[in-house]
Amino acid sequence: MGAGACGLMAVTALCAAPGPTHAEGSVIRDDLGRDIAFSRSPQRVITLLPSATETVCALGACDRLVATDRYSGWPAQVRTLPKTGGLVDPAIELIVGLRPDLVLASRSQRSLDRLRELGVPVFALNSDRYADIGRTLRTVGRILGLPARAEELARSIDGDVRRIGGEEAARLRSDSPGGGAASAPPSVYFEVDRGPYAAGPLSFIGELLGFLGARNIVTPDLGAFPQLNPEYVVRHNPDVIFISAAEGSHLAQRPGWDTIRAVREGRLCSFAADTIDTIVRPGPRVAEGMRALAECLDRQAPRAAGVQAAGAT
Amino acid sequence: MSVQSPNVIFAKAVPDAAESSHRLAVWLVCCVALTVLLTCCSLGVGTSSFGTSWHWLLSPDAQSSVVLWEIRLPRTIGAWFAGALLGLGGAIAQGLFRNPLAEPFLLGTASGAALGVAVSLIAIDSSVGELAWAGKLGMTGTAFIGSCAAIALTITLSRGVLQTSSLLLAGIVVTFVLGAITQLALLAKPELWRDMQTFLLGSTALLSWSSAALLGGVFFVCLIPAALLSRGLDALTLGEDTAQTLGLSLPFVRLTLLGVLSFGTAAVVGQVGIVGFVGLIAPHLVRETLSVNHRQLLIGAPLCGGALLQAADLLSRWLVSPAEYPVGAVTACIGGSYLVLLLWRRSRNG
Amino acid sequence: MAEALPVPEPFSALSCRQLTVGYGPRTVLDGVSLDIATGHWTAVVGPNGCGKSTLLRALTGLVTPRSGSIQLHGRDLSAWPRRERARRLAWLAQATGATDLTALEVVGLGRFAHSGWLMSRKAEDDAAVRRAMLATGSLAWAQRRLSSLSGGERQRVYLARALAVEARVLLLDEPTAHLDPPHQEDVVRLLRSQSHGCGVCVVSAIHDLSLALAADRLIVLGREGLVGHGTVRQALAGDWLSAAFDTRVEVIEHEGTLLWRPALEPERAGR
Repeated sequence: MGAGACGLMAVTALCAAPGPTHAEGSVIRDDLGRDIAFSRSPQRVITLLPSATETVCALGACDRLVATDRYSGWPAQVRTLPKTGGLVDPAIELIVGLRPDLVLASRSQRSLDRLRELGVPVFALNSDRYADIGRTLRTVGRILGLPARAEELARSIDGDVRRIGGEEAARLRSDSPGGGAASAPPSVYFEVDRGPYAAGPLSFIGELLGFLGARNIVTPDLGAFPQLNPEYVVRHNPDVIFISAAEGSHLAQRPGWDTIRAVREGRLCSFAADTIDTIVRPGPRVAEGMRALAECLDRQAPRAAGVQAAGAT
Repeated sequence: MSVQSPNVIFAKAVPDAAESSHRLAVWLVCCVALTVLLTCCSLGVGTSSFGTSWHWLLSPDAQSSVVLWEIRLPRTIGAWFAGALLGLGGAIAQGLFRNPLAEPFLLGTASGAALGVAVSLIAIDSSVGELAWAGKLGMTGTAFIGSCAAIALTITLSRGVLQTSSLLLAGIVVTFVLGAITQLALLAKPELWRDMQTFLLGSTALLSWSSAALLGGVFFVCLIPAALLSRGLDALTLGEDTAQTLGLSLPFVRLTLLGVLSFGTAAVVGQVGIVGFVGLIAPHLVRETLSVNHRQLLIGAPLCGGALLQAADLLSRWLVSPAEYPVGAVTACIGGSYLVLLLWRRSRNG
Repeated sequence: MAEALPVPEPFSALSCRQLTVGYGPRTVLDGVSLDIATGHWTAVVGPNGCGKSTLLRALTGLVTPRSGSIQLHGRDLSAWPRRERARRLAWLAQATGATDLTALEVVGLGRFAHSGWLMSRKAEDDAAVRRAMLATGSLAWAQRRLSSLSGGERQRVYLARALAVEARVLLLDEPTAHLDPPHQEDVVRLLRSQSHGCGVCVVSAIHDLSLALAADRLIVLGREGLVGHGTVRQALAGDWLSAAFDTRVEVIEHEGTLLWRPALEPERAGR
């Protein structure tokens, strides 16, 4: 119940939203509120953010990409494409020189106005929350003239996420110490940056953890990424801590943190850089991220005596 | 008109030593009382209400003891020592450079520390072989080394410590150059900006007993030579030439005081990041309420700075509990308001 | 004003031989040799830019000469330990800004060379400060901050600071700057009593010729260098002042006092 169900209902509502089925002669509103007209579906696409690259490739339109930003690394074939720079410093000349008929960028990039002045068609995308994944897939699908593909992909991803989440949530509930219907799911703390900055339930990460049935020690009223008083974590004594590997090895040195159950029992979850991307940034590979989260949570969550974690040795 | 003997005139015009000591004693007692009050309040502020904290004191259990004695107490004591070092550094900087706007970071300490932290973050993040030492040292160590390196660079650029104007200029140059290098380094990894920002805004959140002990040790090591050389700073206010003819060895005084300033500031920056305004404001507050005499200033400024940073730490935890503001943001607000007040008073007095 | 008493061969507290001082490419003093006597007040005069301040700064040890030697009480200036030299030689700078210290604290700094870093206030330090402040009449504002005093009041406090050192040699660069005539007279009297009464070797650079002519001895610097040094009578006899100031001053004696006046063109007949 709770966060998982709300997310589910939001996705269902969006699935029912109407819209034209192809891009020929259509006008589509981007996430900055501008209406962009497309006379035909774009064939030369430049993406200025990794999740846009992944979205385009997931839709099977990877061959339409002519350049990406420096950080787009998936799938392997985009690595050979020309790079237009980072998230804050795209090379305007290079972009214009490639004569794209679509540039996908994030809402907050400063270069959008400049590119528009130069006559480049720019489409702004915003991806903060889980619901944005499906929405972006469908929007980009409409632009590229692949609406059916997009719809199918969005449903499949959502299905995967719900399935993984549901399975894990059930497993945690039944295996947690105390057992039975009255038992509580494990409490988790996800540290995003030194500060310490935590991921609250209103953030994308928080939503994923919610699907998995974990209880976030951060409450929704604190916001998406609050900078917490370290005392708060000590007092709430999470069962599992998600943190980078380097910081994780120093957790016991933080004053008072050696009393936290997760630190004492070594229940820490860290991920490789590539996996972190799928967890932190909403994109079509979210199911992979969910799998990684579920697997680690399953491994690290405290269990009732005598119960083995699924797949643990 | 009766003729008074010179002794009588002198005695009337000049308060004896006892009276000025009395004033100093009163001031000291007030400062200590304020510190004790802030420390006690600190124990009660955080993620629990005052009532809950009071309850914890009366009937402690394992977890509340940890919160009170392992987290809150060392944090407030560490903050006091950090503020005291910043106050002392500010008083020394203002005395050495004879400029009321001088503050402890003016020799490039801040940008050197930031560069050190950036290197450490990149090392941790990308496990580049050559930078592995930076990862091992951690942010504290690299910030300290970065600070010291920046000061060494400043002194080298100004070719010695004899000219204050060239030291100041070199400090500005080093600040800009190292800042630019830091920005370039982080361009490759923009996701590290948030970690940098945490450092740049300062944070007392993770001060432990060992940090407090370290800062305390550094404080006493810095205080003793500074207090001994305080009369030299007074002599310097008369001008460098006059100070020299009074028997002061300018290079010795400058070098020692700069060494104290650098060491103290580098230690603070390593532990709490860059906390501005404390070093600037504390000496001003002491001058307004106590004395301009450096012997009293170099004792008073640390006491004032310590209380200031303690208060800022308290506020940063209390205002948006259980979340926190970065302590550097709070000191900026307090310091900025005080400066506005000073300006307003000055314009009113003509 | 009484004629200077016949003085036996003066013991020179401060002397220099072949002193050459310059800043960068410019040479200000070239091969100057002087003996400055104890118990006399010597005034350094000359037009602007001829090196009065430079000479004083070199004699104090603030400027390193290019060549030549300076002797203080028979020993090379640089051979004296810093503290000892500070106790024997006091200096008053020409222009100093205001500080926020009180007058008493400033004068107290004059005892730095005697009491050192720890500043324990000894009775003799207090007595020296008291004497110095009385002599300059600055006792009334002992508790006031220097920045709140007028230029003249500040100057007297600085003078008191120099006197508080109770050094055997006193070097003063423009001690009468910012002072009004009655106080200028006070300073003259003070310098006289210090040199004749206390046996201090007083050297001052004064650009006001009337005051300078009240001294015992003169060092006259001109554009080409040292014009001469000796008693005031010798200076007048040798016409050193006319030589230094391009014959634009003349000195007259009026009721025993020496005065100078600009050497104006004689009035046209019939005006």
